[in-house]
Amino acid sequence: MSTHPYLDVQGLTVKFGGLTAINGLSMQVERGHIHALIGPNGAGKSTTFNCVSRYYRPTSGSITFNGADITGKKPHEMAALGVARTFQNLELFGALSVRENALLGTYAHGANSVGKLLRPAAAEARERVEHLLERVGLADFLDTPACSLDFGRQKMLELARALAISPQLLLLDEPAAGLRNREIETLDRLLTELCERDGITVLLVEHVMQLVMSISDRITVMSFGEKIAEGTPGEVRSNPRVIEAYLGKGAAGG
Amino acid sequence: MSNKIDRILLALMAVVLMALPFMASGYVIYVVNLLMVFVVLALGLHLVIGETGQFALSHAAFYGVGIYTAGLINNLWHPPFFVSIIAGGLLAAALGYLIGALALRMRDIYLALSTFAFGEAMQWVFLNWQSVTNGSNGFRISPATLFGYALVSDVKAYPFVVVIAALLLWATVALSRSQLGSAFRAVRESDIAAQAMGVNVNAIKRTAFTLSAAYAGIAGGMYTLFASFIHPESLGFQTTILILTMVVVGGIGSVRGAIAGALAFGLISELLRQALSFQEIIYGFILMGFMMFAPKGLFAGRAARRAPPPATPLPAASRAAATASKSPQRSAA
Repeated sequence: MSTHPYLDVQGLTVKFGGLTAINGLSMQVERGHIHALIGPNGAGKSTTFNCVSRYYRPTSGSITFNGADITGKKPHEMAALGVARTFQNLELFGALSVRENALLGTYAHGANSVGKLLRPAAAEARERVEHLLERVGLADFLDTPACSLDFGRQKMLELARALAISPQLLLLDEPAAGLRNREIETLDRLLTELCERDGITVLLVEHVMQLVMSISDRITVMSFGEKIAEGTPGEVRSNPRVIEAYLGKGAAGG
Repeated sequence: MSNKIDRILLALMAVVLMALPFMASGYVIYVVNLLMVFVVLALGLHLVIGETGQFALSHAAFYGVGIYTAGLINNLWHPPFFVSIIAGGLLAAALGYLIGALALRMRDIYLALSTFAFGEAMQWVFLNWQSVTNGSNGFRISPATLFGYALVSDVKAYPFVVVIAALLLWATVALSRSQLGSAFRAVRESDIAAQAMGVNVNAIKRTAFTLSAAYAGIAGGMYTLFASFIHPESLGFQTTILILTMVVVGGIGSVRGAIAGALAFGLISELLRQALSFQEIIYGFILMGFMMFAPKGLFAGRAARRAPPPATPLPAASRAAATASKSPQRSAA
């Protein structure tokens, strides 16, 4: 393992017009970790997330992944670099089948020449995708249009589609939002397994503390565009600044 | 188009098309030639609207570029006909590539309006570029030739017209099954998610425009195989709308819908030419009837028809959130 951090965000600042959404954020994600980004609404978590996945262009600062500066990359260049993402409010290809949704995850690696582009996805890719869909519990829905799945299964499909990219870094924007308890437990197991067995590094933005505290190796806490705390779940939980940010001044006093 | 019914329908169509020259009159052959041109036009528009979801309303312009290019080259040099057709297809494709730039900047109704404006501008060019198109008088084209064999009649042109249409149908189905086809549909369904899959959305949109224009250009070339005269009258918005009707009423997003739409509405518009002044009115009523009773088209994409209403609200809202609210800082894709 190299000495520099796997994902390195330095001095990230994002301004929307006069509003400063993120102010000089620096954070590092270590390889093989599950790293959570938490904070109250409007703290700048999603903005940070969208900068790392290159959907937003930071006003200043730099983002380095696996030793390479990715600050100037386009969003569609990230998949080929091994960075996959999901979306806060689901972005499935609604009318397409579950299978085709997930198969599109293999596009970045499987359609990187004109010859391949003009052919159907390779048999290995199809097999791998079916296996992934089985793993997230969608084996019985391969030909179902994504839009007619229930919400929990749609979330799982989005995850499977991101995994089909064969990512090294998986960016999850509120994967547990709207899920039932049983589904959150499944997600918990799955993410831990992805990290431990498949060696995937995960950066997630999440509000569901039950999940965050259970799976995270490290947690970065943001409030009003700045990092206010960082550490293990235990450290973060007892940090007075974190309690203050979530519950208001005075709450940390006791 | 993998299921049994499609195969049977295709085989049936092939048999009818092969038997037709032996049993039909010249006019019927002319109409079938025209229908084949419409099939290719509809397939081209299907690629950009049905597959990629980009509302391009300039199809007649590319069709016109194909007609004039093929007709002029034919008159000037009398090359084997496929040379003129390919030239028309290429020129239309080049223009389609340029117009595709519009789709990188705007979407939906804005894209529809700007491509409509382009279509109108092109009709103006066809009407007023006297030295090339001879304006509204049009010009006569000499019969297309293939190594000395002249296609002097509808019947002589017929096999070639049918073969070209069949080839493009095959290409469309192959394209739709390829990963490029998947990328087209991904852009249609969610360009944000498509980017995350590594799909270069801009390049894909431009490819769709280029291919669609190439189909229209080739359709123009096909027209010159059996037409003896070309004029700009039918190269305006009316024709674009006719082709759009074929694609939408046939069943947006499906190849068999585009074909069924082309055959049905090509036939209707040809038959209604006898009705003269009532033509538009009858046509309008037919269209309204379809929209009321089969809003998703005769052959709506299987997914669209089978899908029950989504169990939970779907992405529309999130798309707005991800694009609109914070757009100033969004990476230029």
